[in-house]
Amino acid sequence: MSRPGFVLEVDDRTPPIVVHEGEGFRLEQFPLGTRVIYPPESLPAVPDVEAAIQDALLHPEAAEPLPELLRPGMRLTIAFDDVSLPLPPMRKPDIRQRIIEAVLTMAAEAGVDDVQLISANALHRRLTAAELKDIVGERVFRSFYPQGLLYNHDAEDHANLLHVGLTDQGEDVEINRRAGESDLLVYVNVNLVAMDGGHKSVPVGLASYKSLRHHHNSKTMVRSHSFMDYKKSHLHHSAWRMGKMLAQHLNIFTIETTLNNDVFPAPYEFLLKREWEWGIKDQASMLAIRRGLAVAPDRVKHKLFQDLRAPYGLTGVHAGETEAVHEKTLDNVHRQQLVEVQGQSDVLVMGVPYLGPYNVNSTMNPILATCMGLGYYFNSYRGQPIVRKGGAVILYHPVKPAFNQLHHPSYVDFYEEVLSESTDPAVIEAKYEQQYATDPWYIHLYRTSHAYHGVHPFYMWYWSTHAMDHCDDIIWVGADRKVAAHLGFRAATTLADALEMASGTVGPSPSITYLHNPPHLIADVR
Amino acid sequence: MMLALEMFRSVPRHLAARAVGGRIPGVLSGPVAPLRMVTIDEPAVGKDGWVPLRSRLSGICGSDLGALSGRTSLYFSSLVSLPLVPGHETVAELLADCEDLPAGTRVVLDPILQCAARGVEPCGSCREGLTNRCDRITVGHLKPGLQTGFCADTGGGWGERLTAHRSQLHVVPDDLSDEQAVLVEPIACAVHTALRAKVASGDHVLVSGAGSVGLLTTLALRSLTAAGQITVVAKHAHQRELARTLGATDVVGPDEVLRGVRRSTQAFHIKPQLARSYLLGGVDVAIDAVGSRQSLETALHATRAGGRVVMSGMPSGADLSAAWFRELEVVGSYASAAREPAAEGRGAFDIAIELAGEPALSGIASAVVSYPLHRWREALDHAHSAGRLGTVKVAFDPRSSR
Amino acid sequence: MTWIGDGVRDVRQMKQGMRWGRRAQVPRSAEPWVPERRSSVFASEWSRQKPAIAAREVAQKVGLEPVFRSQVRTRVHGLDILDRIEGPVIFAANHASHLDTPLVLLSLPDAWRRRTAVAAAADYFFDTWWRALGSSILFNTFPIDRRGGSMATTPREVLDDGWSLLIFPEGTRSPDGWTQHFRMGAAFLSHTYDVPVVPIAHRGTFAAMPRGQNWPSRGRRQLTIRFGEPLRPKPDESVRDYAPRIKDAVAALLDEDRTTWWESQRRVASGTTPDPSGPQAAQWRRIWEQSQSPDTVTQARGARPRPVRALRAWTRERVGR
Repeated sequence: MSRPGFVLEVDDRTPPIVVHEGEGFRLEQFPLGTRVIYPPESLPAVPDVEAAIQDALLHPEAAEPLPELLRPGMRLTIAFDDVSLPLPPMRKPDIRQRIIEAVLTMAAEAGVDDVQLISANALHRRLTAAELKDIVGERVFRSFYPQGLLYNHDAEDHANLLHVGLTDQGEDVEINRRAGESDLLVYVNVNLVAMDGGHKSVPVGLASYKSLRHHHNSKTMVRSHSFMDYKKSHLHHSAWRMGKMLAQHLNIFTIETTLNNDVFPAPYEFLLKREWEWGIKDQASMLAIRRGLAVAPDRVKHKLFQDLRAPYGLTGVHAGETEAVHEKTLDNVHRQQLVEVQGQSDVLVMGVPYLGPYNVNSTMNPILATCMGLGYYFNSYRGQPIVRKGGAVILYHPVKPAFNQLHHPSYVDFYEEVLSESTDPAVIEAKYEQQYATDPWYIHLYRTSHAYHGVHPFYMWYWSTHAMDHCDDIIWVGADRKVAAHLGFRAATTLADALEMASGTVGPSPSITYLHNPPHLIADVR
Repeated sequence: MMLALEMFRSVPRHLAARAVGGRIPGVLSGPVAPLRMVTIDEPAVGKDGWVPLRSRLSGICGSDLGALSGRTSLYFSSLVSLPLVPGHETVAELLADCEDLPAGTRVVLDPILQCAARGVEPCGSCREGLTNRCDRITVGHLKPGLQTGFCADTGGGWGERLTAHRSQLHVVPDDLSDEQAVLVEPIACAVHTALRAKVASGDHVLVSGAGSVGLLTTLALRSLTAAGQITVVAKHAHQRELARTLGATDVVGPDEVLRGVRRSTQAFHIKPQLARSYLLGGVDVAIDAVGSRQSLETALHATRAGGRVVMSGMPSGADLSAAWFRELEVVGSYASAAREPAAEGRGAFDIAIELAGEPALSGIASAVVSYPLHRWREALDHAHSAGRLGTVKVAFDPRSSR
Repeated sequence: MTWIGDGVRDVRQMKQGMRWGRRAQVPRSAEPWVPERRSSVFASEWSRQKPAIAAREVAQKVGLEPVFRSQVRTRVHGLDILDRIEGPVIFAANHASHLDTPLVLLSLPDAWRRRTAVAAAADYFFDTWWRALGSSILFNTFPIDRRGGSMATTPREVLDDGWSLLIFPEGTRSPDGWTQHFRMGAAFLSHTYDVPVVPIAHRGTFAAMPRGQNWPSRGRRQLTIRFGEPLRPKPDESVRDYAPRIKDAVAALLDEDRTTWWESQRRVASGTTPDPSGPQAAQWRRIWEQSQSPDTVTQARGARPRPVRALRAWTRERVGR
């Protein structure tokens, strides 16, 4: 039995509460009266995953069963979400592997010969062979990768992009040529949060930069309140327009999956428990792990965390017509993540963990940390933000000036060059976005190495600016002072200091809300 | 008789300084410096045009420190005469009338001891006014010495008195303070460097180094050329600020140079095995204002094919592959000329005196730190770590006793 | 040093926040979300497997028995009835002290002892793993719920496996040594599974080690134990009618132990067996009477005094009396 999420009010009986901060966590004694939002406990997993997949494929939503869509001589393309989902990566076998295997089995039975598999990484970095193998599994990998039929989408490969047309608002719809010219495009998604999936899969994941910039720009991203509610997100509106248009040109069969909240494997399960229910073992684990992390060299720590594989359980799999499927998927996501919260508060506290979508097997650099806190977490609401307009946000993360040169070359320059000049998205977009987007070196690294596209850091920053606009004070606890200042924020050593610093904005005894995630939650603020 | 700091010949000290100076900078101002404070006869050259001077302020230059620490190439060993009194960035006043200049006139010295000063027929370079290229610096009235401060006969700014030839003297306008005037000689060198760089309109220039040479070169580039973007490599925070004040458009740290340049020039970054990375593409002109191997290689590696690399600091070896492969124009820039061909024949010192009054320089001039002669060890120590301590120029004031 | 310092700070914070050494508390606002306290009872099947039996044999013979015998003296009567019946049976005894369980177990013949399990309150003996482990190894306890509820192991399984049960129908130790109300559990089991009940009466354990004491009093107190005739439910007898017979049998045995078999039988016949729940008197008088060990009572009645045999090795100081 899993309990729903709830809002705790810190009282004198409340033990210290876990706060994530990068590659580590601390116990924080919050001021009395602080509201702590706990996510619902992990939902029970679907007991027989294979049967659930078969059922979804044979009884799809608003579509014919998959076997009926398959015929000899057709062109079948299977696209799937890349390594940015789920977080942390899933313990093998990945759910995408199981679905792709089921789809391929049906395709083989139907005698389909022309099959290609594409990782829908949009402007994300290309996956390595090992990462592809982790997602699709050894069998699929062996059958397709050496033949060049399992590969990463390339948003800059103009020869292999297909301009499908314009939406009614004049937005270019340009996607992967192979996908666009297929008789059937099967999209396999992992819907970790409400932002994912729906028409954000094909029109975004397989799009070119030319097409992406219509929804990934400072205007849509600043005005999206919030990404977790596609009906209120300008980004999603644009993607939906494109998706509707694509659906007319292309036969898309969407398969969406949802996972439960089992994000931490042993010995980190205590991070999933409510602190007052910690047993001796949980407490000992916490103490031991904290001491271990304190002496561990950074590299060891990094490896330790990046190697975590989550023992997720599947909470649902739905297939068929994109929008019909997505409604069901969102229900599942909300069942697992939605917590009702009454009213806004003056201060929002969030712990930024070691991993975000863009630093899987990589470093969480200052821009990604900002995006994780102010983009991803801050926007985890429905209705209105958890913090009131003009309030303060307090984040925990070491925010060290460490960058992964292989994965994030343009981030370094964005940090050094662009942020030195301005943190205003409008200024940044006008002066630099085009330069970065067209820099031949970044394009080269994106296409041949494992680098995020040159323009990607801009999206991260745009995403975070809704929070920056909304709040008057953003303070990082435990952050490198220089870096925080460079990003336009302030740094504090402790929560008490941070609250002191924020008192100019929110007064000496503000109402405080702490978002207790991961695992992920969406605050339904009434 | 006068007090002076004298550099003398000492093979053991020279070798010791060379061996350990890099690792233990403290010893350079301590036991192994081939420098001593002495009372000696005032220098005199009994020839026409020579005049005794009282040193008012004399800067410590990177080349002085190089000489004291034995890092200077032995190439120059025959171009100096020991024992000598260093000090070539000197503001002084005339102790006697000299041709058109009355006694008491405040002057700055162009330190080059060219044909005119040596009383020999002008060589080809001197005839054209390219006095820094004089070929006769070892002959004539004087013992060998490429500049005042490297010649045993003339004395130098680090003594109470020195002597100079009329051809070396440039009158300091009254509105320049001594601190501003002591910068004139380094500014003249910077002017010369900027002119040697042959910057075309809108060129992207990289200045590697933000010591006095780098900063003043930035100023000269901004004032005298139509350079577009000027990127300065600076290590310390105050250097970054000064560089921006003096006209830099970008300032990058030493580790970020290639990345920064790559971004703004959209070049390609190449990482060879077991060697320093470099760019294909890059800036149009790079100026090495340090002279270290690293700095020179940075300049070579960040310059586009067919670009120009100016060596302003005294170089100490580098991998020249890029110069060959990218067909770079690598040019030297030494001191300054009496008539700069690239400035319609104006003298570098005349231009420098104008620039010394620039408001942008006030920050540097007001931060000139002066020491009396007897605190020379402190002064050298300070000069060694000037960048870190936030000072651009350290100087001796031989008149002071405190 | 900072590493150690930080570690100490962490531990201190955890100690304070998690209320080490005290009961954990739930924040008030979290109380609605605390799940019903499911009786987290530890499974005990393992304790009736061979390795556990072997370990228990060692624990009882090498550990428990010498200590027990060194601290108290025992007098056992009526074991002959066990020769006449086959297991499994339900032993039903009065309950006055933690000494009752070892007394009964160590009085049983080895063959019976090895096949006897002790019903123990789940909420006390099985709420922590270490208490469950300890009591299972030493006494072969299995959990029963005092308030009724589902258990990991049911008495039925234990009986079906051929194990006898030791049950204290009072459910808890007597506060004053006199017997309390007998619950129906033993009768119910006997009735349902058609297993005979062997009533047991013992005296002196309250005097030796009453509630609140965790070691027997000094002086090797005398304990007596008496096994009675097995009882079986009569045909058509309800549990409600059957249960009092068990209590009466225990009462008669207590009377017999205090006096003689003949006298007690006569009182049974005339229905004048003294009430085992003691006289209606002031609490102090009830305790006063029970705090006398049985041997001193017999001495007072002129019986032959037994010499006090003290094992020197176990006497912590010279016995003064």
